[in-house]
Amino acid sequence: MRKFFGYLLLFLTTVLVYILDHPLGALPAIGRLVDPINGCWANAEPVKENFSGDFKFPVLKGVATVWFDNRLVPHIHANDEQDLYFLEGYIHAKFRLWQMDMETRAAAGRVSEVAGEKALKFDIKQRYKGMGFAAENSLKAMESDPRTRRMMDAYTAGVNAYISSLKYRDYPFEYKLMGFAPEPWTNMKISLLLKYMADDLTGSTNDIAYTYLRDILPKSELELLYPDRIEGATPVVPSGTAFDKPSLTVPVAPPDSVAFPHFIPADFGERREDGKGSNNWVLSGAKTASGAAILCDDPHLGLNLPSLWYEVQLQGPGTNVYGASLPGAPGIIIGFNDSVSWGVTNNYRDVKDFYLIKEVADNKNKYWFAGKQLDYTKRVEVIRVKGKPDVTDTVNYTLHGPVTYAAQNSAGGGLRKPLAMCWMGHRATNEMLAIYNLNKARNYNEFVDAILNFQCPAQNFAFADRMGNIAIWGQGQFVNKWKDQGKYVMNGSDSATLWGDLIPMRENPHAVNPAQGYLCSANQVTTDSTYPYNYNGAGWVNIRAWRINQALSGMQKATVKDMMDLQQDTYSLLASKVLPYMLELDGADLKGDYVAAMKKWDYRLTADSKAASAFQLWWTNFSSDIWKDKLKGVPNYFMPLQEQTMQLLLQDRLPMYGVDETQSRHDYFADKVDKSYTRALDSLFVMEQKGGADWFNVKNTTVAHLTKLPALSYDHLKIGGWGNTVNAAKGEHGPSWRMVVQMGKEIEAYGVYPGGQSGNPGSPYYGSFVEDWAAGKYYRLLFLPNANKQNDTAIKYTWRVQP
Amino acid sequence: MRFILSVLAIALLSALAALYLPWWSCAAVCFLVSLFLEQGGGRAFMMGFLGVGLLWLIAAMLHDTANAHILSTRMAALFKLPGYKSFMAVTVLIGGLVGGLASWSGALLRPRLNS
Repeated sequence: MRKFFGYLLLFLTTVLVYILDHPLGALPAIGRLVDPINGCWANAEPVKENFSGDFKFPVLKGVATVWFDNRLVPHIHANDEQDLYFLEGYIHAKFRLWQMDMETRAAAGRVSEVAGEKALKFDIKQRYKGMGFAAENSLKAMESDPRTRRMMDAYTAGVNAYISSLKYRDYPFEYKLMGFAPEPWTNMKISLLLKYMADDLTGSTNDIAYTYLRDILPKSELELLYPDRIEGATPVVPSGTAFDKPSLTVPVAPPDSVAFPHFIPADFGERREDGKGSNNWVLSGAKTASGAAILCDDPHLGLNLPSLWYEVQLQGPGTNVYGASLPGAPGIIIGFNDSVSWGVTNNYRDVKDFYLIKEVADNKNKYWFAGKQLDYTKRVEVIRVKGKPDVTDTVNYTLHGPVTYAAQNSAGGGLRKPLAMCWMGHRATNEMLAIYNLNKARNYNEFVDAILNFQCPAQNFAFADRMGNIAIWGQGQFVNKWKDQGKYVMNGSDSATLWGDLIPMRENPHAVNPAQGYLCSANQVTTDSTYPYNYNGAGWVNIRAWRINQALSGMQKATVKDMMDLQQDTYSLLASKVLPYMLELDGADLKGDYVAAMKKWDYRLTADSKAASAFQLWWTNFSSDIWKDKLKGVPNYFMPLQEQTMQLLLQDRLPMYGVDETQSRHDYFADKVDKSYTRALDSLFVMEQKGGADWFNVKNTTVAHLTKLPALSYDHLKIGGWGNTVNAAKGEHGPSWRMVVQMGKEIEAYGVYPGGQSGNPGSPYYGSFVEDWAAGKYYRLLFLPNANKQNDTAIKYTWRVQP
Repeated sequence: MRFILSVLAIALLSALAALYLPWWSCAAVCFLVSLFLEQGGGRAFMMGFLGVGLLWLIAAMLHDTANAHILSTRMAALFKLPGYKSFMAVTVLIGGLVGGLASWSGALLRPRLNS
């Protein structure tokens, strides 16, 4: 009996251990996780951790030193370029390995492998977009150039040196939580990461929405609601800038009947995320107090933890550069060196077009093109799914590109018809070479030579150097298109719709040292209508560009502080124009505290403003009511731009839909104002019950961990602004890196990002910048001279590295 | 006295095992130690529970104090527990339970020389 109980108990103990050692549904293996010696407790980094140390890497060519400052920013000094990138790779991995792994898995469509079936739809979508195909093509280009090959090989070796030093107890926390292990790093992963960014920034599928609108709206109304260039636009390259004569002949558009197919509303089923934005601007010395040029940049991206960005300074032979690097790729993406500074915003020129594929009936292997039947190139995609059998799918590639939207693609989106995607990102581009040369650029000409390799995603590169030069380039690789080519889904079976020649990149729109003394971009249209080549946009907005132009044009003797204030600016130009109009339309009927607050309001979307909440909710409802009768079925994101709605409203040119004949124009809009206000009030009362109607609480700016787990995220941050203000801190998007650099004799640089240098949720450096970022504080960036020895008091830890 | 010494022995041996073996090696330690000691089931359970529990408590506390509760607070939030102390209690309970049960089964399966 005793033995029986003994065996029973032993069996029960074994079962208990087995359960605690295996994931249970969404829960991780609890025993392994809570084990205080090797589990998550091992990731509890001591708050007084001493990061100093001696390292030996036999692969290195010489000695190197890394100094960490008091914000844990590494300043890497190496006498050999490859040693420099090796150490950057090692340090990225040490502080951010899990995010590098996840982001590249996301790019490749390999998330299900570690997260299980719930990520399968996402993975399928990535495969159908041809992300792997794109990364393979670029990898070939990057590896065939000896400079980028060496750079990537060294970086990858550095990442792998770190990975191979790990035991389970050293794994980043999230590996333990999700129950998987790091795998070796490769150059392919660098390529995947860059394509992840390209997809993020040129990924919009506006063509499909435009195609829908083109079929439901009369031509004149389409132009009124969705103009190519909004009236009064202030383009990136200032109006009046003279453009060189184009070296290519601009093609003539084929007849519409050839170029574009037509669809019915039932063909559509697309949903898409909100667009991303960014600001950058440069001031020449003539406009600054110090007489030195100033460059400012704040790219608005998804706000995540660990942050997309990682601050680092790289010192090597001929290189001394500081800025925001992208963990997972070598070099610095946005920053400055001892001669020049640069910053980027998304350019939004359309580089992704869709073609309707005419399938050959009864033959799944062929499609029609120019009267002939062509074979698809088949790409077999095997998706591994944690705890389930592999999923195998085949993506058909046409001469345009992969058939992204296909009947068997259950990931949905877009037209429910076979659409092939033609994307600049699929081509063998080498942005790494641009970064490599940019990091070393000593003057404007070298800057231009460098960015000529930056093909996709197209970016507005702002530039300022220590000589006082300023410039801006609408940079990327573009196609010499006929008017409206690729604006709508095109007919994929006719050769007239094929992409033509590439525009030589030196002919991209740019401005250098303009008379106005400043240049700025904020995702507005690139040029005025005198630019000789055709192009259309995929998300241009102008509201922030107006405000920045307004501020900079009037500015004299600008200081670094003025620049910070402008980046923090929460003044809503939109509110200042439309709110008085809305209040007046039906003034007599609107009463109450919120109306009183809005009447006294200074149009600033400050964190604690209740008037800001009232206005935003009211405007969102009102502008949606204006369009919803006509644009039924069009997702909110694709309603006319709010600044276009604003201009039409103020000019009294808004069309009236579903109108009752007895109603006057005034009554029609007054009624919409009234009803939308009632709904806004309802929302405000709900918010008052849920923590308050302060603007920051209503909009809930959140910096979320990549897993979206609230315990690892920061929400309801006390920050003002919205998409219609320069400080574009929205719900999940916002200024992901704020930088102000004064390019004087001594370079004076400031920056901050909503994150921290460590990706470990158990480290005090995990979210250490978040509150300061929300509060609008900046850190003075420690830009050390390129030297073997340093004695700056801000240096806290030192790595001595030997071969 | 023997009880206290066995508890300490389990804690020490489990700590050594954890350096090279998976987390559940503490269960094997408890089982084996109990195989060698003559004692009742209740005592055996307490010995394993306290031995592993003590080790896990000390290890967790060392990490947690140096870390100023950053990680344990997040873990508690993750599992919807009221605070970092409760996450530590859960940790210790899990370790203790595994150790106790293993130790108890060891005691029951101990070969009886007299019978």
